Amino acid sequence: MMSRFFSPNLVLGIAPILLVIALWQGLVSFGFAPAVLLPPPGFVFGRLLQQLVTSTFQHEIAATLIRLFAGFAIAVVLGVSIGIAAAASPAINAVVRPIVRVLAPLPKVALYPALLLLLGFGHGSKITLVAADALFPILLSTYYGASTVEQKLIWSAMAAGSSRYEILFKVVLPAAMPSILTGCRIGLVISCIVVFLAEMITSTDGLGHALVTAARTFQAVDMFVPLITISLLGLVLNGLLGVVRSYLLRGFPEA
Amino acid sequence: MKARQNGRGSNDAPHGCANDSLSGRLLAKLMPLNPRASGTEGGMTVVSARSSEWVRPVTQQDPASAIIEIDRVSQVFQTSARKDHVALSDISLTIEEGAFVSILGPSGCGKSTLLYIVGGFVSPTSGAARMKGQAITGPGPDRGPVFQEFALFPWKTVLGNVMYGPRQQGVRAAEAEAQSRALIEMVGLKGYENFYPKELSGGMKQRVALARTLAYHPEVLLMDEPFGALDAHTRTRLQNDLLNIWERDRKTVLFVTHSVDEAVFLSDKVVMMSKSPGRIRQVIDIDLPRPRRRNELLLDPRYQKYVVDIERMFDESDQAGAPA
Amino acid sequence: MSAAGMTKRAAPVLACIGLLVVWQVASLALKNDSFPTAIGAMRAIPDILGDKESLINILASLRRMAMGFGAAVLVSIPLGLLMGRSAAVAAFFNPLLMVIYPVPKAALMPIIMLWLGVGDITKTLVIFLGVSLPVIYHSFEGAKAVEEKMLWSGAAMGLSPVQRLVRIVLPAALPEILTGCRTGLVLALITMITSEMIARQSGAGNILFNALDMGQYETVFAMIIIVGAMGICLDAIFERVRARLVRWSEPQFDMPLSFS
Repeated sequence: MMSRFFSPNLVLGIAPILLVIALWQGLVSFGFAPAVLLPPPGFVFGRLLQQLVTSTFQHEIAATLIRLFAGFAIAVVLGVSIGIAAAASPAINAVVRPIVRVLAPLPKVALYPALLLLLGFGHGSKITLVAADALFPILLSTYYGASTVEQKLIWSAMAAGSSRYEILFKVVLPAAMPSILTGCRIGLVISCIVVFLAEMITSTDGLGHALVTAARTFQAVDMFVPLITISLLGLVLNGLLGVVRSYLLRGFPEA
Repeated sequence: MKARQNGRGSNDAPHGCANDSLSGRLLAKLMPLNPRASGTEGGMTVVSARSSEWVRPVTQQDPASAIIEIDRVSQVFQTSARKDHVALSDISLTIEEGAFVSILGPSGCGKSTLLYIVGGFVSPTSGAARMKGQAITGPGPDRGPVFQEFALFPWKTVLGNVMYGPRQQGVRAAEAEAQSRALIEMVGLKGYENFYPKELSGGMKQRVALARTLAYHPEVLLMDEPFGALDAHTRTRLQNDLLNIWERDRKTVLFVTHSVDEAVFLSDKVVMMSKSPGRIRQVIDIDLPRPRRRNELLLDPRYQKYVVDIERMFDESDQAGAPA
Repeated sequence: MSAAGMTKRAAPVLACIGLLVVWQVASLALKNDSFPTAIGAMRAIPDILGDKESLINILASLRRMAMGFGAAVLVSIPLGLLMGRSAAVAAFFNPLLMVIYPVPKAALMPIIMLWLGVGDITKTLVIFLGVSLPVIYHSFEGAKAVEEKMLWSGAAMGLSPVQRLVRIVLPAALPEILTGCRTGLVLALITMITSEMIARQSGAGNILFNALDMGQYETVFAMIIIVGAMGICLDAIFERVRARLVRWSEPQFDMPLSFS
């Protein structure tokens, strides 16, 4: 989403962000909002830098990242394999398709209490929730990509002597790659969001937990810090995925 | 002339009638299309020569032997619940080894479908196609297609695309690379080995596609309006180059086109097809000397007569409405 | 054709039944106290819907959701269309949206609560934020893809820029916009539930966690069924509306593609 971030229009793009920060600063300095409720930006960013070097906060980030990556990885593996299988086999398609139609619009957060009951309050339930939420965009875009592979690419490979099974890996998978990566990008952001929410709802560590703890003690500054951190994490991970994407899709037009 | 044509426009897209929903669409792409598989027992008897549909051996060639036999092939597509579209009706054709044969006809006459049947990509509703006496059941490296849409693998470089076939055939990497480099040079793309298809022009892409197909040494080249998406200038240059390449080893070529000039310029034989249902109207031997030079040929009255005659025949059938 | 259509329609229902059966078997096999059977959970549904307070709670949730969704759509579509047609507007807003994108909107709940209290405004605002981004994004993409020549013909016919935006860009981008709205609708439900889970004041999400805390496991699973059914129904209804509105457009992929 919102691609071409690093465009020559960067200056124009930074303007609204600066504007928001200036507005924020203005609200505080002109006394419209008490600093207790809305700490000035400089204070918040100072706090962020100060927190980033403490081992407790690094520990929270690590907990969040582990859950995020584990859930996202499961979603990618399951999503891509189910997506390709559903596109290639009518039998699998007949089973997967209606189930996906039912499960995709289902708010997965609602399953979280059930996951807590079944898998306990540890990593398991949060990783499962992340995987469940990130799975569908990846699965659907893989399926879409695999179903719309150009017929003549497949024919060309068949004529060159590839078997159907080989074609699945040598033609369908790479040809569906742009679509798969779009799904992964959506899935990654969803993972960021979901892991944070799950930690907010119930957890003993992680960034979401840090926010809830701050909220309980009305520490407005400490509430902003984890939020900004997850936003930055999202940006960095999105950027990394962008690098992977432009490498994998270097042959594709418009990539 | 349109510089760039959408492949769908002029091809007789046989997969258009496949399952409409996306479900199983990939599977349909992996299977030879077979809308009515029942009762397609290929007749074992060799068809005797019948009528003008039979292509006679090419002049001044060694005792020519048939490489491809198309035996009473019909193809019916179900366009909707009730309506059927007869794309090909009772086609019989024999192609001799080493011949350059063009299939010429208006769009929608099923000429591409016929090529796909020979390629093994589409199974005929009835009748059978044979390659060297063996019934064609699926695609194989003995028949190499070149499509109008190029169909290059966008994730592979020029070299990677050309190497795909040999690697699939089990040729070792170093050897496959050497062969592929030689082929890339032959089609005039030396220096572009590490380019991606997106960085090439249409004409260059089609050269790569030709090299990719030649790389696995097919015995027959199946060319499906290969120059249809190119501008007039590029098209002429590729026609010349194709003939030069073809002169080296005289592979059998089955060439689908809707351009009369192109068919006459390139071929030993032109198979004229008519539309709905797709039938063979006439087979014309092009008796022009080889190697052909474009500048000489365009001034040759025999060439001009072939072109004019063929165009007139198409005009007559248009006026007559229903084909003979 | 009709037989195939019937199976196509029945398939999601069959899938629902299948999932419930799997659940039933799994719970019988596990024999876990905290994992009631599907039948047990379904028996608890009438109790929840019959209870006046829960019902009011759920309806209040839905009302907030509708308000947040409506406001978001009204603001986001024009913004997205403008961004799609003007490179400058797009360059202005894109980075800001990029930064906001990975922030969990429901996580803003505690902060907004700090400023505005726990009333309807806070919850509606959070839903508004959750819905806006996908709708903006899809409107943006849809408007960007509108063919330049169509606008040229519009200009040649004497349409002003605003008229062109409303009469050419909006309808041309409508299929894409509606895809965004569909995503936004599901997201509104998700944000609603999550924010109620976090705020723990009222609403469907709160019922879920209260039951969890009190060990009423059948109520927990019954609520999950109710919320799930809401999601599926909203999506199905919207899909029908969408199919009507953009009949002219190519038959679209019948599964929601993006869940951004």
